[in-house]
Amino acid sequence: MIRSITTSLCAVALGALALPAFAQDNPTLTVYTYDAFAADWGPAPLLKEGFEAQCECTLQFVSAEDSISALRRVQLEGDSTTADIVLGLDTATIGEGKATGLFVEHSLDLPEFDIPLEWTDEVFVPFDYGYFAFVYDSETLSTPPASFEELIALPDDFKIVIQDPRSSTPGLGLILWVKALHGEDAIEIWEGLAPHILTVTSGWSESYDLFLSGEADMVLSYTTSPAYHVIAEGEERYKAARFDEGHYTQIEVAGILASSPNQELAREFLAYLVTPEGQATLPETNWMYPVLEPSGGLNPGFADMIDPEPALLLDADEVTANTRAWIDEAFSVLR
Amino acid sequence: MRAGMADIWRPGRLATGAILAGTIAILIGALLVSLWAAGQRFPTTGSSVTGIGRLLISSATQAAISTILSILAGITLAWTLDRLRFPGRGLVIGLLSTALVMPSLVIVSGLLAIWGRNGWINLLLEPFGLRAGSIFGLGGIVAAHVLLNGAFSARIFIDRLAAIPADKLKLGRSLGLGPIRRFLIIDLPALAGSIPGVAATVFLLCFTSFPIVLTLGGGPAHQTLEVAIFQAVRLDFDLGAAVNLALVQLVVCAAIIIPASTLGPTATLFGARRDTHWPEAPWLAALQWLVLILLLGAFLAPLAAVLAEGFAAMRDVLAQPAFWDAAATSLVIGTLSALLAVALGIALGMARALLPVGTLGRTLLALPVFTYLAVPAVVLSLGFFLLARLTGLAPANVAPLVLVTANALLALPFVFAALAPPLEAIAMRHRRVIRSLGLSAFTQWRQIEYPLIGRPLGYALAVAFVFSLGDLGVISLFGTSEFSTLPWLMYRAFGAYRTNDAEAIAAILLLLSVASFVFIPRLVDWLAHARNR
Repeated sequence: MIRSITTSLCAVALGALALPAFAQDNPTLTVYTYDAFAADWGPAPLLKEGFEAQCECTLQFVSAEDSISALRRVQLEGDSTTADIVLGLDTATIGEGKATGLFVEHSLDLPEFDIPLEWTDEVFVPFDYGYFAFVYDSETLSTPPASFEELIALPDDFKIVIQDPRSSTPGLGLILWVKALHGEDAIEIWEGLAPHILTVTSGWSESYDLFLSGEADMVLSYTTSPAYHVIAEGEERYKAARFDEGHYTQIEVAGILASSPNQELAREFLAYLVTPEGQATLPETNWMYPVLEPSGGLNPGFADMIDPEPALLLDADEVTANTRAWIDEAFSVLR
Repeated sequence: MRAGMADIWRPGRLATGAILAGTIAILIGALLVSLWAAGQRFPTTGSSVTGIGRLLISSATQAAISTILSILAGITLAWTLDRLRFPGRGLVIGLLSTALVMPSLVIVSGLLAIWGRNGWINLLLEPFGLRAGSIFGLGGIVAAHVLLNGAFSARIFIDRLAAIPADKLKLGRSLGLGPIRRFLIIDLPALAGSIPGVAATVFLLCFTSFPIVLTLGGGPAHQTLEVAIFQAVRLDFDLGAAVNLALVQLVVCAAIIIPASTLGPTATLFGARRDTHWPEAPWLAALQWLVLILLLGAFLAPLAAVLAEGFAAMRDVLAQPAFWDAAATSLVIGTLSALLAVALGIALGMARALLPVGTLGRTLLALPVFTYLAVPAVVLSLGFFLLARLTGLAPANVAPLVLVTANALLALPFVFAALAPPLEAIAMRHRRVIRSLGLSAFTQWRQIEYPLIGRPLGYALAVAFVFSLGDLGVISLFGTSEFSTLPWLMYRAFGAYRTNDAEAIAAILLLLSVASFVFIPRLVDWLAHARNR
């Protein structure tokens, strides 16, 4: 690492044109994604290994802070971007992605997905999904609330911690969740939630940390969060609170950029991503549900997760058109 | 002719300072312009940021309260530490600055480990049926800011007090000054030169503080302008609006910096490291001990909590190759940016010492130093990204250069606050010698400034080094999975449920910072005085 930094510093100092460093026979497929996906413990290393074994190419993941940042980076780079694929946008941000006009249709024959709705999008390919939920500690809370109304009815010292919808995916998810359930009356739910909100953090990490250190009784996260604790830590105490009225769905997607010179290869990668082998890399690294039965089956730890039915999802165009207004509505009572 | 060194003409120094200040100003301007220009290329649905006036007032109020309390806490802490002598004093002083440079995520979790619902304080109070109030809200924000900045200002003030010449102390002692008059006549003039700079820096930090305000503020009720800028960039992708908001923030910050750097009195007292120690009367010393223990408890307990929580997983983390890669990157970048920041600080400080107080040139030289702090990190990182693209280089290749520059500029206000007042005081005190011996600029540095400035120089190097070690700001757009620093690795671990790993990395960062603050100043002090040994 030290050597490579010194080399790049020298290159910069000399004003040398830093062309892609080495000439390769194999093409390189570059995927922009969010950081947790590209991390050592994320799905990226496994996907790289699996896909490179069959493609005679190099698969490179470039990480941005989150998926929206990855998209913005492609926008800033314009036609000269090295990205072939943007991976990690979700059902709440697909509209933003399409509005950029940077993506092409995938034109793949997609397999039958095992996801909560019929997938008809021509541009983006879904690769995993999950549901937003409040996670609690079963050792300190025996009967969690089973709806937003029940949560609101709890004493004021029952605290939840949520994320800022402007900077965090689950934070935006909560706005949509409340909207999907309560429509015009969403503001009343927010008024009721306000005294219970300990704080609104900028990212998921901060709030999950607050919850784990016992500052809040529940944290906005995913129905599958407890699976991490069960499978990776053997810790059973954390559970997701099931809301009978339903949980909002997040489907994560990947799309091919129109500027990519490697579109055929990019299609191959997306097809691989939704094979049973590709899907097998995801559940225990990204802690989301696979979109179809992975090879080797799903870890039984996931079987204990709550049933999120009915799964909720708002129309993507409606979401894109109204996101800002809905955020303002929620914030108007939090101030 | 008390103020300034106008009677010694050093065109080289003045020109160097002016060119550097100009370069920094141009760089910041270029960052903003590139962002604005890029903003014109993208259609936007219009920014949804509203309520700027309210945001400005609430951030300014919060920042003002935080600054006043930080400076008061800093002076009190410096005053007690200056009078008292005990084993481990060096370590305590080393610890004082570390809070400032730790990623705010770490500070927040440290504070909560002490003051939170399940924190140490509540554990102590529980048997008595008592509970501490919630730390969330304005109180929590101010507490976190005072923790960070009070310790930082104490660290700067201790050096000022330690630099009071021995003859001055001897005189005061022989006159039998009481504790109050001693503080007013001897200590305060020594501190006065650095108070405006430190206060301006602290205000800017509190005014632009983002993650702490968001996390401890309890929601959108307490926010800063920085959050609105973040929103314009992230949610709306309205880069033009982001630049406009950044300009608003710049103007407000300039309104603070300009008076501070123009009206601030010149530091006049500065001597070499001294061994004279003049303790207070026993009753007052006892009081000082009490104050010191209380303040140190408040400042150090959160840090101790970070260490305690990180210890468990440290062995696992140390076994990961990714950790060592990130550590190597952080150390290399930290060293380079520290050297750059200190070089800039010395050059600008020397140039400023030549100009009389109240002149326009003085303000113009100091302004760019602080400007960088007033520009939001998200704007800077995007601006750097766009500039890098203009040069035609791949982001991965310029990442180290950008990180070094950005981190050096980030640390510059602190380096400047540590170096400029003593440089000025030295020039003042030794003006006659310099003039009568007709010393060249270089000899002046070699024979007079360098040996005398050892302490603040060491501190400045340490602060710049550790700042870079703890920075999370600009790397986000440039980071790839291969290129990572320690804080970035920590943030990733937090984001992947790996709380134990993240806490261990935080503890390691803290240990590295403390070690830097203890050893770098000693090393520099030793080098500066090597010839006398």
